[in-house]
Order: sequence, then C-alpha cells, then structure tokens
Amino acid sequence: MIRFDNVSFRYPDEEEWIFEDLSFSVESGERVVITGPSGSGKTTLLYLCNRLYPENCDGIVKGSVTLFTKESQSYSPGEVNHRIATVFQDPDAQFCMMTVEEELAFTLENLNVEREEMDGRIQDVLDLTGLTKFRHSIIQQLSGGQKQRIAVVCALIMEPKILLLDEPISHLDPYTAKQFISWLDELQQERSLTILAIEHRLDLWGGFFDREIQLEQINDVNPMSKRISSKQEGQSLEVANVGTESFLNDVSFSLNRGEVAILAGPNGSGKSTLLKALCKLIPAHGTVRPKHLGYVPQSPEFLFVTKTVRDEIAFGGGTDADELLSRLHLAAVADAHPFAVSHGQKRRVAIASMLCDGREIILMDEPTSGQDAASMVELFGLIDERAREGTTFLIVTHDMEFAFHVADSVLLMKGGSLTGKFDAAQVWRDEKLLAEHHLLQPKGWMEHEVCFA
Amino acid sequence: MKSALHNMNPAAKFIVVTICMLTMAFFFNPWTPLLMWIGVLLIQLLFSRIDWKVWILFMIPFVIMAFGYFWTTLVFAEDKSGPVVLSIWSINITEVQMNHALSLSFRVLAFSGLSLLFALTTNPVSFILSLMQQMKLSPKIAYSILVGYQFLPVLKDEFVQIQQAHRLRGAIQEKNAIHRLLHMRKILLPMLAGAVRKAERAAFAMEARGFTGEKRTSFYKVIRVGRLDGYLVGLFMLLLIISCTSVLYIN
Repeated sequence: MIRFDNVSFRYPDEEEWIFEDLSFSVESGERVVITGPSGSGKTTLLYLCNRLYPENCDGIVKGSVTLFTKESQSYSPGEVNHRIATVFQDPDAQFCMMTVEEELAFTLENLNVEREEMDGRIQDVLDLTGLTKFRHSIIQQLSGGQKQRIAVVCALIMEPKILLLDEPISHLDPYTAKQFISWLDELQQERSLTILAIEHRLDLWGGFFDREIQLEQINDVNPMSKRISSKQEGQSLEVANVGTESFLNDVSFSLNRGEVAILAGPNGSGKSTLLKALCKLIPAHGTVRPKHLGYVPQSPEFLFVTKTVRDEIAFGGGTDADELLSRLHLAAVADAHPFAVSHGQKRRVAIASMLCDGREIILMDEPTSGQDAASMVELFGLIDERAREGTTFLIVTHDMEFAFHVADSVLLMKGGSLTGKFDAAQVWRDEKLLAEHHLLQPKGWMEHEVCFA
Repeated sequence: MKSALHNMNPAAKFIVVTICMLTMAFFFNPWTPLLMWIGVLLIQLLFSRIDWKVWILFMIPFVIMAFGYFWTTLVFAEDKSGPVVLSIWSINITEVQMNHALSLSFRVLAFSGLSLLFALTTNPVSFILSLMQQMKLSPKIAYSILVGYQFLPVLKDEFVQIQQAHRLRGAIQEKNAIHRLLHMRKILLPMLAGAVRKAERAAFAMEARGFTGEKRTSFYKVIRVGRLDGYLVGLFMLLLIISCTSVLYIN
C-alpha cells in the first residue's frame, strides 16, 4: 500500500536531514505504528504519506515514496487524500465547518459526490460508527474524545483504504483514550482498513498494533524514577470554600510546603476552572491564603509581556532575578526574546517570573499534554528541583504515569466538585476510585507493586 | 411573512441593497434618502423579526453622525444663497443651506438603514454559500472565509485567557484607557503567533479532506433563488423608484 525506498527528507532552510535512507512498506490490512521521540520526524513521515509534504513546505526529498501503485509525486494535490485519510493530533484544529453534518457534507462535496447520495452516505457512516446522535451537534461544543471520533468519521466517509493517525489520543483523558482505541479496533475489523499511526507513547494502545517501526531508538523508555517526597512541615496553601456562582461547588483543601499535588478528573470536570478561581482570574467566593499564587497556563507564552527573558523574570519587581536565572538554568538565554526559546525554557521562564514575584505556590494547567518523553523528563526534573527548595505545586494533568512519578498527593474532581484530597499511594491502589474519575492505574505503579509483592 | 427577509437569497439581497445605495448617490435632495429610509424601516417592520433593541443600539452612532453632518453643513455652508427660512440666535439659514444639510444627514441614515437591514437579516454562512453558488465566487476564497469564521470563538477564548494571565502578572493598568489600548499589542502578539500555527493546521485539515479548491459539481446545502426573491427585489425596486422620483411630485 505504502512503500518508502531509501527516503531522506530535509526542510529547505536546514542543513540536516530529518531522516535518511528510510525504507519500509505497509501491506493491506496491517496496523503499523511509527514511534520515536519528538524531532525524529514522525509527523514529517506521516505527511509524506498523505502528500501534504513535500508540496506544502518545499521540503527536499530523496528516494521514492510509492502510494498504492504510483509514485507519490504523480498525484495532484488533494487527489490521493480520499484514499489515504488522516486524523490529526489536535482535536481543536482539524475541522472546517460548524456542525458534524456540514463537516461530513464538505468532505463529500470535495469528492464531487452527487447531492442525492450525500444524505445516505452521511447516515450510513454515522450508523456504522454509532454516532448518529451527534449529526446536528456543533463540533466546537463536543468533548475532546467526541471530536476525535468525529475526525475519524470524517476520514471514513471518504471510504479510504488507508487511515493515518497523528497521535490521536494525546489530548484525551486515559479512560476516554481507552474507549477510543477499542472503538477504533472494532471499526478496523469491520472495514478491513490499513492503519498507519505515529505515537510517542504506546502504554494505552495495548496490543492494538501488529508492527512497530522505530525511527530512532528511544534511549531509555522510562527514565523517570519515583520522586522522593519533599513535603515539609507547615502549611503553605490554605483554601476554604472556594467556588463560583455557576459551576464550581465549594472546594476546601490545604497543601504543605514542598508538596506536589496532582489535580485530576474527567474532561470538563472543572479542573482549569478551579485553578483560575484560586488565582482570582475569574470571579469566585471563598478564601485563599496566601493571596498571590503563581499560575502557568498550558501555553506559558500567554504570560509574557516583555522583550527579554531577564526583563520577563524581573517584571513583577523582585530583586533576585539574576539568581533565579542561574537557579533555573536560564542564564544562557537571559537576553533572548521569551517567545524565541524552546517550550521547556518558556515554562522555566514562567515559573521563574512567578517565583520572582514572591509567588511560592505554582499552579500548572496541563503541562504534560502533547509532550514527548524527553520534555516530560525535563518537566519532572524542574518540578522535583523546585519542590525540594520548598515550592508547592498543584498540577492539572491527565497523564497518570507522570502523576505517579511526581505526586505526593492527588486531588480528584468530578462534575464541578472536589471528591477529596488523597494520599497518592492510596489513589493508585483504588481502581474503583480511579475509574469513577476516568483515570487508569499507572503502569509504573503496577510494576512497583510486582517488585514489592 | 415575518421571515421573508431572513429567507431571501443572500446574494440577491446583497445586489439589491448595493443597487439602492449606488443609485441614491446620484440624488442630492432631502426627500430621496428620507423616503428610502422610511421605506427600509417599513419593509423591516413588515417582513423581518429582527431585535429592535439591537437595531437601535447600532443606529445610535449613525444618528449622532447624521446630526453632526446636519449641524456642520448648516453652520459652515459655502453656498448661502436663497431666501432665509430660519434664524437661530444670530445665524441666518437659507433654503439652500437647509436642503444641503438635510440631504446629507438623511443620506447617512438611509445608507446605515440599508446596511443594517442586510446585516441583521443575513446569516454570514449562507451569504458566503450563496455568493459561491449564485455569484461564482471561487470555493478557495469562500471556504477560507468559512473556516476563518469557525476560528472566531476560539480566538475570543484565547484573548480572554491571555488577558487573565496578564492581569495576574499585574501587567494591565485597569484605570488608564490609553495604557490599556497600548497593552493590546502585547496580547495580540501571542495570538498572532498562535493564529499562524492554527492557519497551517486548518489548511492541512482541508487538504486532508480532499479539498482542492476546484469548482464543485454539487452542494449539500443548496441556496436557491425563488419566487419570494422576485417579489422582494420588486418591492425594493418600487421603493427605489418612488424615492428617486419624489423630487418630481413633492415640489
């Protein structure tokens, strides 16, 4: 179906090849996954398969890519895309129309399907996938898991031979991701599709794939080791009856100095709302002590207001900016524009500026989403290091592996209320409690248990 | 009856409103725009179910503008010939002055009335679809606009989030309007960076759905031209003729 013969690729303005002399082939009906750390060219490879590259980035390709029976360059743009359909990573940026029906119709119009046929085909594909009830839903109002399913439906309506998946579960909570995978499993068997996916973490996929192609050896599968708790005596954060008018029910809890707490729960359970309420970013009642908390949004660049990293850290008026620069390993980029540094560094800048403001409690919103193993390790190191110096963390995440390694305690939320604050070990043990909050037992814990059984 | 204007073919409505505006530009008397304005109001009263509160809110700035035109033309007119019709304090206003002032201000009202009629009764999505189906607008442009339109709520969310983040850092001085305006630049920069990324992803998504930008042979949602459009176009033309010929019978 797809064959790569000695393919190399590089972007026009870069010297280095993203990958060189790559050869592999995918046969009909196979389920193949391509793995590798970020920067190893997984996405590039996928875009070569659906002909988005090299056209759209003027990339330079050596070797030959064969799609079905023809050389990929002999197709015109968009021509092959209905036989090789793609589901992208970000559920928010892959739809063109307002409602599910319109999106499906848009796809059919592109294929020049007769108008009389359209209605039937939309109905059929929705029946097949069990999503008929979403036909008239507004896409932007659906949850992440539902959006990814709709994206698959939009791909399937083209009746493709091959389905390409670009890290489709990286934005979903573990429970939703599991459901998505088993749904996809049934679908693949029914339609005898060929599936080619890229993914940097295979934990949740189980035995879904027949074959794995590794682009670059991942040096150490799980270099994180369980953190030694740095929780100290003495409360640093005290929250009493915080809630909002409309959604968030009264929440009370407290955290100690150096404590790392994870805030978890299903999509839409109010985790981000709680963080914002604690920082007084949205109107809320109740008391929070201390008054000023540090907040790092999912995109740390949202915080930046100055032109250099140094100014950024000193912005709040603190005096120890230089010390913080070196403590957070930012001295080398002190004069760079905060938008121009890497994602991991942006996060460091954000945390440093919060600390410089005297905000010793850091709330982080989804720092793990869309991160590969290496940046995860970096994040882990950062949190560990800070916590040891007495900073308190409250982190929203779906990633239970990460949570397992980093957390001292876990706060669980559901439907706008806090179920409670638990000791981390106690949560990992309680499968029922986890399932109620759409979470799965971390693999790290199970291994841990085996060792100590 | 009440939904006729909302159901009217958007492209036809667009053409007829444009014709009315262009024609009115050639008539420089108070009566034509006044009659047009009143006519537009009547048509809206009879054939639409717009929210009149919204209409009034939008109309306020135009009314102020119209009054501004009226007053400045009265006071600073060049052509002061003709008999004096009105004296305010020590300013004598002649008939010519009065006519000029009234026609300018009524013109503002008529133009804004027509634009609001179009804006408040037209769904932007069907307007684009209609332009593509009836006016041969290229699908490449049409769908780009539609996709951009989907991004508006996302951008709004992002704007709020950045604003919140900046407020947390104490970067927004709430009191000073000029400072707040200057600060917009800092909010727009991350949004722009995000928008470029989003645009690329959206383009990929469209191509992955097999979009080639070629003329398409069939549409799922067909925007038709029907008898209703004929009647309404006729009504607008009648109004246009009555108001343009008003000069002949009013004087």
